[in-house]
Amino acid sequence: MNKRVTPSFLFLVVLIKTLIRTKHMLGWMFFLSFTKTYAFEIEGVVQFNYVKSDELPAWFEQDTGILAYSENSVNLQQGLVKVSDSFTNGLSYSLVGNVYQLGSQNIGVSQAQVAFKPLSKDKIRWRARAGFFYPKMSLENVDTGWLSPFTYTQSAINSWVGEELRTAGLELTLYSPGRSRNSAFSWELHGSVYKGNDTLGTVISWRGFAMHDRQSLNNDKVPFAAYPSVVQEDRIFHPDYVEPFHELDGRFGFYLGAHLDYYRQSSFRYYYYDNQADPNVVNYERLYAWRTKFHSIALQHKFNKNTRLITQWMTGSSIMGKHFVYIDFDAWYLMLSHKYKSHRFSARFDLFEVNEDDIFPWDPNNSDGEALTLAWRYDLNMHWQVGLEQHFNQNSADIRATLGQNVSIDQQQSLAVLQYRW
Amino acid sequence: MKFYFIVFSALLSSSVFSKETSIIVLSKDDIAVANVVVALTPKVKKEYTAPEELAIMDQVDTQFLPHILIVQQDSRVIFPNSDSIKHHVYSFSTAKTFELQLYKDLRAEPLLFSNTGIVELGCNIHDWMLGYIFVADTPYFAKTDLHGKVILDVPEGEYVLKVWNPRFQEKEEVLALNMTVPKEGSMIVKLNNDLLPDLSDYEQSADEFSDYE
Repeated sequence: MNKRVTPSFLFLVVLIKTLIRTKHMLGWMFFLSFTKTYAFEIEGVVQFNYVKSDELPAWFEQDTGILAYSENSVNLQQGLVKVSDSFTNGLSYSLVGNVYQLGSQNIGVSQAQVAFKPLSKDKIRWRARAGFFYPKMSLENVDTGWLSPFTYTQSAINSWVGEELRTAGLELTLYSPGRSRNSAFSWELHGSVYKGNDTLGTVISWRGFAMHDRQSLNNDKVPFAAYPSVVQEDRIFHPDYVEPFHELDGRFGFYLGAHLDYYRQSSFRYYYYDNQADPNVVNYERLYAWRTKFHSIALQHKFNKNTRLITQWMTGSSIMGKHFVYIDFDAWYLMLSHKYKSHRFSARFDLFEVNEDDIFPWDPNNSDGEALTLAWRYDLNMHWQVGLEQHFNQNSADIRATLGQNVSIDQQQSLAVLQYRW
Repeated sequence: MKFYFIVFSALLSSSVFSKETSIIVLSKDDIAVANVVVALTPKVKKEYTAPEELAIMDQVDTQFLPHILIVQQDSRVIFPNSDSIKHHVYSFSTAKTFELQLYKDLRAEPLLFSNTGIVELGCNIHDWMLGYIFVADTPYFAKTDLHGKVILDVPEGEYVLKVWNPRFQEKEEVLALNMTVPKEGSMIVKLNNDLLPDLSDYEQSADEFSDYE
């Protein structure tokens, strides 16, 4: 729910204390938006879960499981606040601040952008945005703060996008609303240049795809197991983590996107993403720039007001060093979601695969998996929601053998979630 | 006693001065056209007092409701927001150019529509939203029902009949007709050109989720 609000004193005290501790510039911008003016909209989502987890610990524990939780426990699954406002001149801003229990950065910013969309009656119009944001590739992540309103455990594709991909740059859009042309079809064309996404591809190359809802924050670090082929000085000699939003080579990356909508019933989105990184650049932490490029196609069709089908396919490649690591990756999912009164039922099948073709046989990067995620979410009222989710997957990663683990494993995870939104 | 007097007066006034007038709007292919603005303007110009009550153009499920609102000149229109998200309503129309930020739970001041004509509404946040306010120079107006028909109570006299809908290719003036009240039977207005495409499906596929920022 959106509201103009006056922030409570208690909230400000907590925020100031946190900012002093974390020294984040974006966090301070967030704070200033509170103090300068009270004329903004504020939305928030908090999710607590009880998880019955799989036995194989997650990458957060520097192990090789591809599900987020490592033990049966009660957790803060999501905590986010979105602050936004728009002005009569077409300018708007929005900022999403998150609190996470999992991961190394526990408070920070996942999105911050300023957008300009001039009022226009033209048939073809333009708009732009700048900041730190997601390309609009996904039709799954359509809830506040890029969450999925369908399942808690997101698709393999968007779990990866959430942890390694963000645009720190500028996006220009040409668009034509169908209704202004007396047409059932609306279209959008997007082009973007950005920096700061040079390490993209690291985690899917070594760990492989994972399935979760943990979005990396502005200064985050994504850990993974200390694979000997990765961390040993006589091997690739890379840390057992990646910092996803580093700029290493000074080059601009780009993406191009096209949307086509039939009424508001069917949507098609195509994106080509290329971070243009120089794969031979390495920084003082021994983090490499990975040249990563991919195509993404997403489709949504609503059979009626209550039932929809969503699918997305991504295919691409990533290279690091002088062919030290080279992978091709493919992933897709198909999701059916149905709403009955205040109940939403969603079922998604995921398939994902990483194939290597590089010079180091002692660093095996092939991985693959398939997964089924079933979720029920029930709105008690406009603020409270409860939900259950059951997830099953079978996955394999050849690199587990270097740690003496089984290459192929089956994993399961059950979630009971209580959500409050305002 | 006072009550009977009022009822008697009302009956007298309607039987003597007002006549029930039926108008039907048909497409080029003789199919009834619903949701058409029908307005009868007396040829002898009269001064009408502006209505006191506010007209309402709501936003529900990211659509304007009603899709077409007819108001008398000098009416005030309020834009409540029944959605749980913000809207940014605008118009470039010469009859009324404006923009309005509509926050949830904050009621914007009503706007005065003092010029006659058609005001096309859009939302700068939700590009599929489209609505119209028809500002009439007469208090005698209505929208056709599913049978393409309206029944108006109007005083006897000479009128100009105007019909309008955004799907018409003909301009409002082209379709204007002279009409005398009382009139036997229904006045039929038939369009010369095909209707523009019916895009009401934009109203049907509302989504509880908006696109992400």
